Amino acid sequence: MATRESCLVCQIVGNQIPSKKVYEDELVMAVLDVNGANPGHCFVMPKNHYPIIEQVPDIEIGRLFQVSNKISSAIFESLGAQGTNIFVANGIPAGQTVAHFTINVIPRKENDGINLQWQPKQLSEEEMSTVELRLKEHTKNIGYFEKEEKKARVKAPKPVILSEEEEEYFTKQMRRLP
Amino acid sequence: MAEQISPEQLKALQEKIKQMSPEELKEFQKKQCIFCQIVAGKVQSRKVYEDEKVIALFDISPANPGHLLLLTKEHYSIMPQIPDDDVAYAFMVVKSLSNSMLRGIDAQGTNIIVANGIAAGQRAQHFMVHIIPRKDNDGINFVLPQKAMEQKEIEAIGNKLVAALGGEEPKRDSKDINLDDISKMLGVK
Repeated sequence: MATRESCLVCQIVGNQIPSKKVYEDELVMAVLDVNGANPGHCFVMPKNHYPIIEQVPDIEIGRLFQVSNKISSAIFESLGAQGTNIFVANGIPAGQTVAHFTINVIPRKENDGINLQWQPKQLSEEEMSTVELRLKEHTKNIGYFEKEEKKARVKAPKPVILSEEEEEYFTKQMRRLP
Repeated sequence: MAEQISPEQLKALQEKIKQMSPEELKEFQKKQCIFCQIVAGKVQSRKVYEDEKVIALFDISPANPGHLLLLTKEHYSIMPQIPDDDVAYAFMVVKSLSNSMLRGIDAQGTNIIVANGIAAGQRAQHFMVHIIPRKDNDGINFVLPQKAMEQKEIEAIGNKLVAALGGEEPKRDSKDINLDDISKMLGVK
């Protein structure tokens, strides 16, 4: 299993740091956040060490979000939450604080002091078109049907391989964390 | 905007809904849901990705340029209603969309957000995932306060969650998802 000694999350997974576990299987572990945004706030993380979502294999992505969804249901059922958020911060500018991919599952109540809202930005048609064009350059590579084939088959979303440069960029940023 | 309806009309409507079969109710829901109309192509949108299961389009009130919504084509109000395999598939696509932002529009990070319920900030009655490209100092400020919990409270809440999760493990075979499984999942042979 890929672990990193200096990683806080790897230490939780390895039981070097004690935690209140709510779920565990061979790929995924979920624990309660002791300083959560609300009581019942859980972290769901891959046992393997991956700094950002792009590095997490698709199979593990599937499992991680399935587990997050189960926990979200459990929060509704057992904690009387009025809502739940599933929140991921990917990269420092997005608010990521630990260099190990983590999903937050957060119980919500009215006026609980959490704010995941934003001020909508006004975009010009030109800006909009540029973003659309540039994004589509990349999204066209995501899974699609090859209908012309006799046996129709679906491409799974392409595995992402970060170049060494890109990986260096993200991890370097993350090492700057306190 | 929703039309004003009188209390009598509302009562008649409630009565009608009560008598609907599950299939009719589903159809009715779809007609009422703007995102089902978008999925059906009856309402215009700017799509960046579409397959048999999901659709990705631009948020018309974006937090940042490139802010996308990933929707399931099937109508689900909240995420807990979605079957395991579809959850896995939707988020594999979300990961690819996030990656497209890093590569295509120079995002320095991304946020992935789901809101289940009005208290969590949900505004539409159709499950969706927000994928927001982020840059340094882009003016977005998500606030997650830190509330310290007592050890006793942690134990109690943790045990409640463990009990509620009992026997609710996700399908083990999801780890074997491959092209054939996805084809089957999407209803093609």
